[in-house]
Amino acid sequence: MIDIRISNCNKNYGSLRVLKDINLEIERGEFIVLLGPSGCGKSTLLHIVAGLDRLSSGAIEIGGRDVTDVEPKDRDIAMVFQSYALYPTMSVRSNMEFGLRMRGKPMAEIRPLVEDKARMLHIDHLLDRRPSQLSGGQRQRVAIGRALVRDPKVFLFDEPLSNLDAKLRASMRTEIKKLHQSLGTTAIYVTHDQLEAMTLATRMVVMKAGEIQQVGKPEEVYHRPVNLFVADFLGNPGMNFMKGRLRLEGGRVSADVGAATIPLDGYAFDTSPTDGQAVMVGLRPESVQPSTGGEPFALTLKPTLIEHTGSDNLVVLAMGSEEIVGKFPSDMLPKLGEPVAVGFDLSRLSVFDAQTERRI
Amino acid sequence: MTCRRRLAAGTLPIREAKAPIKRRFLQRHVSQVALSPSLALIAIFLYGFIAYTAAVSTTNSKAFPRFDTFVGLEQYWRLFHTPRWHVAFTNMFLFGGLFLLVTISLGLLIAILIDQRIRAESFFRSIVMYPMAMSFVVTGIIWQWLLNPTLGIEVMMHQLGFESFRLDWLTNPDTVIWALVVAAFWQGCGLVMALFLAGLRGIDEDIWKAAAVDGIPAWRVYVFIVIPMLAPVFLTVVVLLSLSIVRAFDLVVALTNGGPGVSSDLPSVFMFDMAFRRTNLGLSAASAVVMLGTVLAILIPYLYVETRERA
Ligand SMILES: Nc1ncnc2c1ncn2[C@@H]1O[C@H](COP(=O)(O)OP(=O)(O)OP(=O)(O)O)[C@@H](O)[C@H]1O
Ligand SMILES: [Mg+2]
Repeated sequence: MIDIRISNCNKNYGSLRVLKDINLEIERGEFIVLLGPSGCGKSTLLHIVAGLDRLSSGAIEIGGRDVTDVEPKDRDIAMVFQSYALYPTMSVRSNMEFGLRMRGKPMAEIRPLVEDKARMLHIDHLLDRRPSQLSGGQRQRVAIGRALVRDPKVFLFDEPLSNLDAKLRASMRTEIKKLHQSLGTTAIYVTHDQLEAMTLATRMVVMKAGEIQQVGKPEEVYHRPVNLFVADFLGNPGMNFMKGRLRLEGGRVSADVGAATIPLDGYAFDTSPTDGQAVMVGLRPESVQPSTGGEPFALTLKPTLIEHTGSDNLVVLAMGSEEIVGKFPSDMLPKLGEPVAVGFDLSRLSVFDAQTERRI
Repeated sequence: MTCRRRLAAGTLPIREAKAPIKRRFLQRHVSQVALSPSLALIAIFLYGFIAYTAAVSTTNSKAFPRFDTFVGLEQYWRLFHTPRWHVAFTNMFLFGGLFLLVTISLGLLIAILIDQRIRAESFFRSIVMYPMAMSFVVTGIIWQWLLNPTLGIEVMMHQLGFESFRLDWLTNPDTVIWALVVAAFWQGCGLVMALFLAGLRGIDEDIWKAAAVDGIPAWRVYVFIVIPMLAPVFLTVVVLLSLSIVRAFDLVVALTNGGPGVSSDLPSVFMFDMAFRRTNLGLSAASAVVMLGTVLAILIPYLYVETRERA
């Protein structure tokens, strides 16, 4: 069942087109993550769903109802902000109660509700404090609690964890995931942290300059990016790209990337390849591994730089005039300048047209 | 990083130890040395003369200070038995209270109106701020003309056909205080508005968005969330305005000259009058000390709150 439908949505600030013809359908219970570089319009899109910004053209439906011209308070949504946006002059309890009181809910119902949600978020001992007396993580819990008590149809999150330190961010991420699993409420979550996007999303939406690039399950977007931008944006370290040309010989396709010829027999082409087509062949670092001898495709390459990350070694390998990065296990430490046999997992290849930058 | 910081910290004492003793003293106390002339001036011309005034207030000085006429606290006794002082002192609180109330409430209201992202915002802001550029003397004269029954607003209203319109604030002892309030408000409103507007603009946009999602009507957001958040601005505004109330001298001299009679007298006018026209320096000094006491009564709690908040 479709819970949110965004159709042909445009947003302009004067002549600046911030959102360009966005179309998106969100099923009930999904956890959608909007991901993209800074300034690509993620927050704008979220604000439009919330009703905090008017769209220039297009329509928004929530729960089968056209809400394009409906006030935020009547859209049955709740929102969590990056800056927490707690009311600083009120206690935690009042912060959580205020929205419900404004809706005329009797106090007798509000009290137990607030206490229940506070217990769920482990902030029940903080109810009588002011926001200024809380830590960042506690404030964000309160902000989430304020959204929870409203029991909305849709949760909207705008980079809720980006003000927290790395460790706290990881634990809050897990909690948000658990929360979503137990409540099953539809959620839209904006972030520019890939790890958050990959772990939280049931489907993720990658945006660039006001346009949706790809919508899909995290692993699908990660392994089958539809264009160079998405391929390059996801992953850390980024995907390796090798410039080359396609060669069609006797019904077999391969990519000549200068230093090597990569067979593309197993590659599922989206469009039919042509001989001599200029392409970019992409392979993620984790698909470039020390050879065990069993791979169908292996090369002997010289390491030029090694970075230790703790869990693995990032090995920069010279390949003709270009360099590619391999992610080696931490116990595999090649020597600088001494050629090593490197196996390529060709089932993870992505091939893009060099001109259109689209996956082929 | 920590290593580098430790190194940087370590170089300082070493270099200092090498410097000759004289230079070391200068290095350590450079700020005190630089400030000492102004500190000395402040000590003499501010605190010195406060003490001097307090001393004069215990004498029976007439036109010139004379310390051979020590009378103890008699001048204070006389001060509090002078009806004109009572008028002036009461006026200060009446004028002050009304001025604070009117200026703060209207200043805040104007700031809130301008904060609604209106068109031509800077135009309106300038209009409200312009009077601030004028001295109290000019303000006083402008309003003297405006409120003059044979020149100003009253004549204009008569010409417009409102024959029964009367505006006799300046000549009526019961309402003359309002003339002071209006003129002072006209001048002080800009500053108050600017302070409140800056406070309003400083409030996180997301608070407004959260309130919109929560369905809280704008006036309630102002009353329950935004205005309480402006508490520090209120404190600053009250202190600034209070000090200008105590200092208000030129405005009264230019607008009403204390009249009709002594009905719009303020302590500062009283003090000036006693010192320079009635040659009663002792009494004047006593009134100055009482005014200082009043200012301190306002300032000390403020400083207390400010420093406690910082700590
Ligand atoms: N009120 C506004 N007036 C004009 N331009 C705006 C306004 N608000 C946003 N923009 C522009 O719209 C674009 C998208 O902004 P938005 O806040 O949606 O980006 P974002 O994807 O959320 O970025 P970030 O990750 O930095 O939060 C930006 O280029 C921004 O400059
Ligand atoms: Mg944003």
